[in-house]
Amino acid sequence: MVAETLPPPIAQSGIGHWFKKHFFSTWLDGVLSLIFLALIIWVVSAVWTWGLRHAIWTVENREACGHGSGACWAVIQDRHRLILFGLYPYEEHWRSTLACLAVIATMVLSCVPLFWTVWRLPILWLVGFGTFVLLMRGGFAGMPLVTTEQWGGLSLTIFIFSAVFVLGTPLAVILAFARRSSLPVIAKTTGLFIDIFRSLPLLTILFAAAVVVPLVLPDWLQGDKLGRVIIGFALFFAAYQAEIIRAGLQSIPDGQVEAAVSLNMPFWSQVVDIQLPQAFRNTLPSTINQAVITFKETSIVTIIGFFEVMASGNAVVGTGEWGQQYVEVYLFLAFIYFVFVFGLSRYGAWLETRMRVGHG
Amino acid sequence: MAEHAISFEKLNKYYGDHHALRDVTLDVDHGETLVICGPSGSGKSTLIRCVNGLEAYADGALSVLGHSVGDDERELEAVRKRVGMVFQSFNLFPHLTVLENCVLPQVRGIKRSRTEATQIAMGQLGRVRVAEHAHKFPDQISGGQKQRVALARSLSLDPDIMLFDEPTSALDPEMISEVLDVMQELTRGNMTIICVTHEMGFARAVADKVILMVDGAIVEQGDPEQMFTVPKHPITQDFMKAVAS
Repeated sequence: MVAETLPPPIAQSGIGHWFKKHFFSTWLDGVLSLIFLALIIWVVSAVWTWGLRHAIWTVENREACGHGSGACWAVIQDRHRLILFGLYPYEEHWRSTLACLAVIATMVLSCVPLFWTVWRLPILWLVGFGTFVLLMRGGFAGMPLVTTEQWGGLSLTIFIFSAVFVLGTPLAVILAFARRSSLPVIAKTTGLFIDIFRSLPLLTILFAAAVVVPLVLPDWLQGDKLGRVIIGFALFFAAYQAEIIRAGLQSIPDGQVEAAVSLNMPFWSQVVDIQLPQAFRNTLPSTINQAVITFKETSIVTIIGFFEVMASGNAVVGTGEWGQQYVEVYLFLAFIYFVFVFGLSRYGAWLETRMRVGHG
Repeated sequence: MAEHAISFEKLNKYYGDHHALRDVTLDVDHGETLVICGPSGSGKSTLIRCVNGLEAYADGALSVLGHSVGDDERELEAVRKRVGMVFQSFNLFPHLTVLENCVLPQVRGIKRSRTEATQIAMGQLGRVRVAEHAHKFPDQISGGQKQRVALARSLSLDPDIMLFDEPTSALDPEMISEVLDVMQELTRGNMTIICVTHEMGFARAVADKVILMVDGAIVEQGDPEQMFTVPKHPITQDFMKAVAS
């Protein structure tokens, strides 16, 4: 006996059908959809009116600020240099701009797989960060010396973040391997080190780096306050990142290393060519997560006297002149953070596709 | 040249209380194809993993191509340069293409130029009939193809000895023969081969010698005809009946 063949369901398509299916399939759905639609229209139009239509854009019209119902973006026009450059001398802002571009270019190039070799990355970083420090510091070729106490704004934020990431990542790799060492002394010591750095708040570590370390170290070893803070921050970052990498290493089947050993690949090649790429690939989402957290945590360095972008923003609001415009200033800061964090997430998503995360 | 390609002498190994290898004494001649069979957990894999030092043994002596396999890293390296291995689970590097899987070990291990390594790799991939998949990633090819790539990867390093650790046990039935075919071609050359397998038809066709291991000890050894038709030991008789049914 042959079962009766049913005709295939009629494929319903078109926008009308799609709306009905997703928004109005029951009367409750319909009501909720309408409520949210009204809400969205209200929010968008409010933001539009406040942020664009009634906004005051230029300093010439600043008398209108606070009287009308619009945003006062004049504050950004007037004080964008303070937000972007902090206390860096006004005439030298071009140097800070160039330095900032150098670091951004370095980070972007680091993200390109072409540079992922044992030699290219370190050279790229040396050149990129070298350019940043030389330009920012000056003191040669007619460029006046600007000490790190005067560095500030967005370029300082980006510099701290990228330096922490670039110093912290290799350190994290070393810590991860040391913790898996077959020698108990090394494994236990590393474990203790990681636990200590993870149990201390970042603030404590930065305070110690800025204030306590100079008391115990001899003068010639102290270096610059910014340098110490970056190293302390990098140790903190490395302690977390090491555990992420360790998880990635543990997820690699034993057979991978056995194959590499039996193919007579040298130990460094087993690490660099086989283990690290797979560990990195397996932990990409957590690594991007850690990078985003670190970027946002850079604002903590304010407390030990560095004038990064958040502190610069606060300074703008702190003056009586623009004291009323804190919403605009903080929105602008939020926008800067959003651009970077969103860029990081998009890069992470692109890498995941490219590295085929989740595939055997 | 050493008298035997591989010689095990009273080899013992323990996993905790478990006695994994018991006084294993065995010689493998140059160019010989040896098949090791036996029930699971009998120490077959452990034995061949000792040959290239993936497992350490507790006592006894093991020499491979005149090098003693033990704690000496230099001797181990000399052995690994000449011994290839194919695993049950393929162990291809998933983040590298098929071609790069075969090229990288040559470049890193024996310092061949990339050009030469690529040429050799393509030759070996052709030999095992997967050349057209050279630019795919391991997760894009079938199990049988993966295992043939793993073989090509080992052969690219010109080994004198090949170890096969249950090379077809993880394969779907329809893919077993494509792997056994290329292995059979290999046995016609002068390579020394040790193969742990449950494929008795294959063993009978290609082996010069078959040994049966039970509980870490060699129970019986002989040429395949004798082992398969008139096994002497009662355990061998039972085992042959079991795998034949």
